Amino acid sequence: MKVSYNWLKDFVDLEGISPQEIADKLTTSGFEVEDVIYMNKHLHDVYVCKITKIEKHPQADRLQICYVDIGFKKTQIITSATNVFEGAVVPVALDGADLANGVKIKPTNFRGVPSEGMFCSGEEIGIDENYFEGAGVNGILILPNDFVPGTKIEDALMLNDIAFDINVTPNRPDCNSVVGIAREICAIYGKKFKDFDVSYKTVSENVKDYVSVSVETSNCPRYSAAYIKNIKLERSPLWLRSRLHAVDIKTINTMVDITNYILVEQGQPMHAFDYKYLEGKKIVVRQAKQGEKIAVLNGQTYELDKDVMIIADAKKPVVIAGVIGGVNSCIGDDTKDTVFECAVFDLKSVRLTAKKFGLRTDSSACYEKGVNINSPSVALKRALHLVDVLGCGEIVDGIIDEVNAKQKLENSERLHASYKKICKILGVDVPKTKMIQILNALGIKTTISGDDLTCVVPYFRDDIKNENDLAEEVIRIYGYDVYNDIEGGLFENSTITIGQYDQRLTMENNMKNILVDMGFYETLNYSLYTASACDKLLLPKDDMRRNVIKIANPISEDMSTLRTIMAHALLLDVAYNLSVGNKDLRFFEVGRIYLPKQLPLTELPVENNRLSIAVCEEGYDFFMMKRVIENLLLGTSLRYKLERSKEVFLHRGVSADIIATDGTVVGWFGKVHKAVLKNYDISQDVYYAEIDTDYLSKLPEKKYATKEISKFPVVERDIAVVVDENVTNQELSSAIKSACGKIFYDVVLFDVYRNKVLGDGKKSMAYKILFMSDEKTLTGDEINATVGKVLRSLEHRYGAKLRQV
Amino acid sequence: MKEKIEEILKNGIVEIESATDLKILDEIRVKYLGKTGLLTQILRGMKEVPPEQRREVGSLANSVREQLENKLSETLANLENAELAREMEKEKIDITEPSKGVAKGALHPLTRFNNKFMEICVEMGFTVIQGPEVETDYYNFEALNVPKNHPARDMQDTFFITDNILLRSQTSNMQVRAMETMKPPFKIVCPGRVYRNDSDSSHSPIFNQFEALVIDENIGLKDLMLMIKEILRRLFGENVKMRVRPSYFPFTEPSIEIDATCQMCQGRGCSLCKGSGFSEVFGAGVVNPKVLEMSGIDSKKYSGFAFGPGIDRSVMVTNKIPNIKYLFRNDLRFLKQMR
Repeated sequence: MKVSYNWLKDFVDLEGISPQEIADKLTTSGFEVEDVIYMNKHLHDVYVCKITKIEKHPQADRLQICYVDIGFKKTQIITSATNVFEGAVVPVALDGADLANGVKIKPTNFRGVPSEGMFCSGEEIGIDENYFEGAGVNGILILPNDFVPGTKIEDALMLNDIAFDINVTPNRPDCNSVVGIAREICAIYGKKFKDFDVSYKTVSENVKDYVSVSVETSNCPRYSAAYIKNIKLERSPLWLRSRLHAVDIKTINTMVDITNYILVEQGQPMHAFDYKYLEGKKIVVRQAKQGEKIAVLNGQTYELDKDVMIIADAKKPVVIAGVIGGVNSCIGDDTKDTVFECAVFDLKSVRLTAKKFGLRTDSSACYEKGVNINSPSVALKRALHLVDVLGCGEIVDGIIDEVNAKQKLENSERLHASYKKICKILGVDVPKTKMIQILNALGIKTTISGDDLTCVVPYFRDDIKNENDLAEEVIRIYGYDVYNDIEGGLFENSTITIGQYDQRLTMENNMKNILVDMGFYETLNYSLYTASACDKLLLPKDDMRRNVIKIANPISEDMSTLRTIMAHALLLDVAYNLSVGNKDLRFFEVGRIYLPKQLPLTELPVENNRLSIAVCEEGYDFFMMKRVIENLLLGTSLRYKLERSKEVFLHRGVSADIIATDGTVVGWFGKVHKAVLKNYDISQDVYYAEIDTDYLSKLPEKKYATKEISKFPVVERDIAVVVDENVTNQELSSAIKSACGKIFYDVVLFDVYRNKVLGDGKKSMAYKILFMSDEKTLTGDEINATVGKVLRSLEHRYGAKLRQV
Repeated sequence: MKEKIEEILKNGIVEIESATDLKILDEIRVKYLGKTGLLTQILRGMKEVPPEQRREVGSLANSVREQLENKLSETLANLENAELAREMEKEKIDITEPSKGVAKGALHPLTRFNNKFMEICVEMGFTVIQGPEVETDYYNFEALNVPKNHPARDMQDTFFITDNILLRSQTSNMQVRAMETMKPPFKIVCPGRVYRNDSDSSHSPIFNQFEALVIDENIGLKDLMLMIKEILRRLFGENVKMRVRPSYFPFTEPSIEIDATCQMCQGRGCSLCKGSGFSEVFGAGVVNPKVLEMSGIDSKKYSGFAFGPGIDRSVMVTNKIPNIKYLFRNDLRFLKQMR
């Protein structure tokens, strides 16, 4: 929302208050000023001058020497412009000027003839034909003859205003207007709001003789209209154009400018109809009929339906209510008589319509924020006042004012509040007199009796409903500085609560630290991806993870789907890092996958938290990843076994599923399938792992129970056996354990060996077996006997032969 | 005889002291204290000493023996130490060669920041909670006093999945979920991801917030201010300054924005804070009684405050990260700097 400094001065005395100060005060009281725009920023050192004499340049045919009178001095300017003439009044930029188009002016010399500056076009001054006649020509801006040489151009053209770009929060629709901001400034400085003139003369006919209004929809709480005949469509006076220019609104002609003026000043959108096109002399506010069409001012034609509120005449839609006017009924050059509309439309209805057609106009933006039910009566009179002042039409007596009775009109809101409660909300004792003074300055007429505040809330503040609202009004004017040096202990008046971490986050953090200690780096990826990720990962057609949740309004295809699988992002990370030359990649991410219970969604999906790990490093192998997994799971009470993995994007022979005792697949790890890697342009092996941290975090805490350390020594024996390839370490280890019986302490596979002597499909497995007794020192004979038992058992169960060394 | 013994002592000490290695030292030991050693011979020849002197000479000889033995063992230790030192001197490595074993990796800066933030809040009595990112319109908007088609919806561009299910645009959904399930008094915080349908050089469509909510009797703006001061101090250091501006959130009233000393430039003014020396860190406020009532909390008895900073920017400035996009790019060259 932009408002201008000069405009504000109509309503509040700003004598001695700088624009920057106003900006700062507005910001600290809740109206963030995002920018202060000085219209004259590029107009210093530009003046009005009169060309007294023109001579040809002796050396250059296309140049002319102009002798000019700038009031405070006479000098000469060389120009190549062809539209200047003796006696012309033009803008001249002198030494030091820095024009809107980036041109900087210095005295110079054209082939031996000095020039003290440059004449300016409208564009160089930053204005167009709409703003000032002649500003649009291709050449120098020729000013009216009565402009006095030596006048600063910003003063001559009224380009000396300052605009504030203000971020008005949605709770303050009343401040989407100059008067609203002016009221705030009054409250901040304790100044009086200067009431504005709404008087006008009429001709003694009645509006009802010309037009009738019927409201047939509940989406229009109020519709006011006035009739003006014999209008004069001309350029508005410069002061009015200057105001609209300052807030970036194009000036068109008197009538359109007046409606825009009211929009900015009062925050009330208006519309002006060309009367002759209103068939049946009727204005009907209604919901559109299915299939009705309207061609509007932006050149588009829209097909309407019953959700769209329109203004119609007896036969056809003429305006999409609150959004945009139809081409057939708007003010044109041949318009003689006009009807002014000043209405309130339901914000939801306007919002839906604007959204439906993708149309956001100044009018719809204003309605969407909410226009007060009381606004039209003031605004329409103010508009008619302007018509009168500008003398641009004859106002017919009377105003049509259709009000939907359900809504309240004017000063009826009376609020009772407790002074103490307000102080409690703030935690600060604002003196009673100060509080009352602030509320009154804001237009909230407040009296106090004991602890009871009685507040009459003005009609434009329907955001004020309770003590919290009043507390905010008080503190934002009283100033938040009061908290700068506040004393007191944190939560000193409240109950002691015991803090607690989230179990899953804590477990994940433990795992993260384990991984970091093992050389891993944590990554973060978007949880949105493209559904084609499932193809890249070679998921079969019936894979559940192809049931992805799609975003209805995605930002791009790349981020159109909630991820159902973690691997995609980490593989992209690996590919990216390889592509920029990074090596030895050990990454992990903790994130969510989103699994719908059904599609389309009718209830919230399962959000499953997962730890995913990827390694791309020379010399890395399955068993290194296995160690990582074991270290991670050691901290949990999970009891699990490993089985060959069923995960499709992993290498079948070099991957494992982690299966809990209840059968749940808690995760998997292994080498990534070569074909998948190809889809990610990765040419090196990648090891990947994923663990369901939700499952793990629900497990009971790991309990430790340690045994007494034996007083007797551990005895070691090494054996090496030759077995078939398909015999696993797990099978041999458990056979060894059970054959050893009570004196078993541990078994470690320390070598696996294959060669021609052993033969194809055979391998040698070398174990270190550790024996210990709690009762005695074991003798050599006992050990030998047990080793013999082990070897017989291995031979019997797995055909293992003792390897002859 | 006495003179003889004293001479043995004198000579012995001199010889022992001059010994340069263990072998020589042992020879000296044999020479004086061995079976045929000089002192041993004296002791053996005691019977030749007149009986009235025996006692005195014997005692002297024994004392000398003791002195020599002490000197010997002392010198032995010295020589052994010298020998060890010589050996160790030979074993000298270049300590600047690289370390072995796996070097530690690093947590993401966002995790570190979140953990620190959680720690501060848990110490203050807050419980950490987690909740859904895919959320219903009710929890994300309606229960927070943002009905359908309310202008405040324009404050956030939301990703929708269906008319009624969306990606949460704020962690404030967890305020409602907490109020529905927990009995006051309570204090909760919720770190989490949020989603907005806008993306440019300074905004990412996915970012992180850290929601906090306190519900109790007697909670007001002052408590909020005190807590935020403490948090800023712990997060950014003792010298941090804060600035409060009124603002608007539908679910808090009064609502404020809190700016803190820009950590990128320590308040000197930089491109990030547009020269102001301050950057916005928190949106906060006193919980709107309407919101309490909607979630079934008696607003006459209880009040509360809430705040919900976006933390990506704080992570950025506290780690002097030059580009917000680094947070999600996962470039090893960046991540390594976080060790």
